Amino acid sequence: MVSSPTAAVAPRRRLRWAALVAATMAVLTACVGQSPTAPTQEARTLVVGASLEPPTLDPSASPAASIPQLLLYNVYQTLVRMNEQGELEPLLAQTWNVSSDRTVYTFKLNPAARFASGTPVTAEAVVTSFDRIKTENISAPLVEQMTVVKSTEAVDEHTVKVTLSHPSNLWLYDISSTAGIVYDPAGLANLGTAPAGSGPFVLQRWNKGQSVVLAANPDYWGTPSRLDLVTFRYFADPNAMNTAMLAGDLDVISNLQAPDALDQFGDTSRFTVMDGTTTGEVVLALNNARSAFKDVRVRRAISMAIDKKALLDTVWNGQGSLIGSMAVPTDPWYEDLTAINGYDRAEAKKLLAAAKATDLSLKLRVPTTAYATKSAQFVESALREVGVKVTVEELDFATWLNDVHNGGNYDMSIVAHVEARDIRRFTDPDYYFHFDNADFDKEFEAADEAPVDDFVPLMKKATRTLATDAAAVWLFALPNLVITKNTITGVPQNAATLSFDLSAIAKR
Amino acid sequence: MRRLGLYVGAALVTLVVAMALVSLFWTPYDPTLVVAGQRLQGPSAAHWLGTDAMGIDNFSRILVGAQTTIVVGVVSVGIAAVIGVPLGMLAGQARGWVDEVVMRITDIAYAFPALLLAILLAARFGASPVTAMTAIGLATIPSFARITRAGTLQVMRTDFVLAARASGIRWPGISLRHVLPNIAPLIGVQASVTFALAILAEAALSFLGLSTAAIVPTWGKMLRDAQTVMFNAPLQAVWPGLAIAAAVLGFNLLGDGLRDLLDPRLREVS
Amino acid sequence: MPVLAFLGRRLAIFAISLVGASMLIFAVCSALPGEVAEIILGEGASQAQIEALTAELGLDRPPVVRYLEWVGGMLHGDFGVSYFTGQSVSGLMAPRIAVTLWLVLFALLLSVAVALPVGMLAAMKRRSWQGFAATAVAQLGMAVPAFWAAIVLVLVFAVGLRWLPANGYIPLTTDPVSWAAHLVLPVTSLAIVQSAVLVRYVRSAFIEVLSEDYYRTARAVGWRPFPALLRHGLRNAALSLVTVVGLQLASVLVGAIVIEQVFALPGLGSQLLSAVSQRDLMIVQGVVMFLAASVLLINFLVDLSYAWIDPRLRTEAER
Repeated sequence: MVSSPTAAVAPRRRLRWAALVAATMAVLTACVGQSPTAPTQEARTLVVGASLEPPTLDPSASPAASIPQLLLYNVYQTLVRMNEQGELEPLLAQTWNVSSDRTVYTFKLNPAARFASGTPVTAEAVVTSFDRIKTENISAPLVEQMTVVKSTEAVDEHTVKVTLSHPSNLWLYDISSTAGIVYDPAGLANLGTAPAGSGPFVLQRWNKGQSVVLAANPDYWGTPSRLDLVTFRYFADPNAMNTAMLAGDLDVISNLQAPDALDQFGDTSRFTVMDGTTTGEVVLALNNARSAFKDVRVRRAISMAIDKKALLDTVWNGQGSLIGSMAVPTDPWYEDLTAINGYDRAEAKKLLAAAKATDLSLKLRVPTTAYATKSAQFVESALREVGVKVTVEELDFATWLNDVHNGGNYDMSIVAHVEARDIRRFTDPDYYFHFDNADFDKEFEAADEAPVDDFVPLMKKATRTLATDAAAVWLFALPNLVITKNTITGVPQNAATLSFDLSAIAKR
Repeated sequence: MRRLGLYVGAALVTLVVAMALVSLFWTPYDPTLVVAGQRLQGPSAAHWLGTDAMGIDNFSRILVGAQTTIVVGVVSVGIAAVIGVPLGMLAGQARGWVDEVVMRITDIAYAFPALLLAILLAARFGASPVTAMTAIGLATIPSFARITRAGTLQVMRTDFVLAARASGIRWPGISLRHVLPNIAPLIGVQASVTFALAILAEAALSFLGLSTAAIVPTWGKMLRDAQTVMFNAPLQAVWPGLAIAAAVLGFNLLGDGLRDLLDPRLREVS
Repeated sequence: MPVLAFLGRRLAIFAISLVGASMLIFAVCSALPGEVAEIILGEGASQAQIEALTAELGLDRPPVVRYLEWVGGMLHGDFGVSYFTGQSVSGLMAPRIAVTLWLVLFALLLSVAVALPVGMLAAMKRRSWQGFAATAVAQLGMAVPAFWAAIVLVLVFAVGLRWLPANGYIPLTTDPVSWAAHLVLPVTSLAIVQSAVLVRYVRSAFIEVLSEDYYRTARAVGWRPFPALLRHGLRNAALSLVTVVGLQLASVLVGAIVIEQVFALPGLGSQLLSAVSQRDLMIVQGVVMFLAASVLLINFLVDLSYAWIDPRLRTEAER
């Protein structure tokens, strides 16, 4: 691309300038050559590129997905953990059992478990952590997930008894994530900047605006990590993250935010690309409080007007999964429901005509994130083809949250619902979907309270009802596109939780 | 050669305007209709400049993008000049406390970064070319005011203005008869710079995601989209990049050329 | 004495401008839709929860009270605390100011260093090919979006040649060599456009000088063109150049915000963008106030330099 410095030093005097430039370049290169960009123990350090910096390091203070990405399972631990297939495994709790009426859970803690401060993880710590969610100003989704808990008691130092107000299968899944974190009671005052957990890593430094450095917890009670230092570098611009990876400054891209850029990492001698799943459903939300959407035919028509496969190919480079309802492939009750209200333009037109909704004019208000704005463009074109006029508005996320999500001021919107098991949101008629279907509510409740063996089949039924009633249009589930250098192993393929789990990662 | 710049500038500006006009009536394809299954195609007989990541004809989007560019430039310069020039002339002639007040207000406004204005407007009213050009226009008022004031100060020191004042002509007359004609080249240059600047600013705002809703094609937005496919489809970045560069170059050259043409002292030197 | 009076008056104006800017900033930030409590609590928060947190953060009090508290704090160097983490805003800003300062300072220096000789060349040789070439290069430099230049530089020097890091920042105290290496591309990208803009002003200013009597006289009595221009022209051209560099400062700052984004630099620009998106308005206000105060300070200094450069203005100002 650029001639080498020596070639530029031509014998003619006219080229003094070129020589000067070349000399400068040479000096610069020499400087860079000396720079200690390669730390001495490189084999045990890892640099991870991520897209959003956490606003705070307290997982209970903000629902930002960047917090569990960094801290869950790495710095903080839960009683049970979810593996990348979406199955529950012991973590702080060695075993647990459920009472016959399925409302009392008894957890036996691992006696070896210690917080990074050195104090043991006791039943009291679990009680403090769980009770805290009821009493303090805690991020709303956590409060919601823990409302079912009636009481938490320490039976003895290593036994915790949790009593639920009614049976709930989902609750156990919920406490495998942020809601179930067990905090060191001694560190509760400064969680925003000084995490107090029991995981294999501790916070070393937070360079605000740039990176967070985690160091291996030297006294970790479990199997120690094969890494000493892990740096999460944050990039507001996804392309900056890609170029850093291409330039060799990063070891891992935690999740590629621009799938069109995937081809850049096609060099298999340098990079490994992993295509897994996340818990993020990209939903075209229909405001069911609007008169037009009270008619199920209109909702179905909107869904049928959109070719989700073509949308995924166009908008997200074909990466991700088509889902058809509010479940993702790592949910045990997931099944492919894309055929329900699937793409059929002629049928969509018929339904609209039957519902006398031939001159619909709708506002599609989306946050300014790539998947949402691109999907909005596709949806606008698709609906134009069936005679529905769509006006797209892009709002910055804070305004969107205030006006669309909390204010309900919208006809249609597009956002990724990244929380796991957020299908429950459709039971709440006050939630911004304003969806209200008594059958679904009953089915969902029955599933949640059912004996374990009936849980999955009943959830399948509820999920299917949601799809049939076209409560929303499920465009696709976001992929977990992880790019690693070839020297990295043990990166989980699927993100069944929001955690970027470092525990198995090693560097050759 | 002296007027080469002027001619090149005029030609480029004419081209941009012509593209904008043509696009009002005709584009080869619908510039906003997403077509599945023809993403990122190279140039062909059907699509002269290929298609973008949404399968839309690039040439059609470039044509329509010229419209946005012209509108953004005209509105931005309009806002800035209509408010900034009178303020600057007032300050430069009145001097004293009027000057002080006007200039301090513009100083405060000027100290308010244009980008912040755009961020706040975009947060308040949503990201669109309208918020972008309002922000660019408001943010460049102080430059117009300052340049105008500086020019006015110089003109006011000249012998012919002193003579005019001595002969009893009052300041509105002086403004129109002596100041404005003499600072017109200065304002012309400033307007051309601002027009070019507005095009670049719109591109920068698009880059930060603060300017355009996805549907409306602008060159800045096209350039931003091209960035993610830089490796597999580098041509995507070439078309809007060329368009922006040509338009900016055109307005800058036109401004400079006009300045050289209008400034009598320069003619004298040449 | 008149000099002191002049200084005092300018200082008073500077202070009043600061107060005006602070009011404007506070008013605009308060007008933003979206509440920090909503963002902290997240989706599904109840109205009661939002209100409780808003009260806890002190945001339910009247704007006048909050404004006075904010300004009062700033007089003691206290910019308030982040709504998200409770950290002090001045503490959060300090490391970022350093990043933006280096970027802007070096970019301005580099662009002046490039623009002055090129602009003078373009003015003196404006009828020969050298002048034409200088102008043409400047015109092309101006026509390129800064972020585009940045991306191309990254592709060539970081991704292609791997001579320099693609992005990121290392503090000077941590590792000076690495610090410099991380700044080369951002500074260059920012300076490309700025120097091109400056060339045009330098050229105009010196063309003006070329038509002035003193220059012609100097030439007539045997001065060579370049020394004549330096000896007599520089001081006269300086007036408009100082104005332009002053004016450029704001656009350099804006350019820096974009460049910080391309290079993932943890400067004030990226802090501003993320604080706005989180509605952490205490940080937004702090950063904008700092930027505005810096520009006002530069204006103040430019004003003083006017008086120093142009004696005619000084006497007028003193009158």
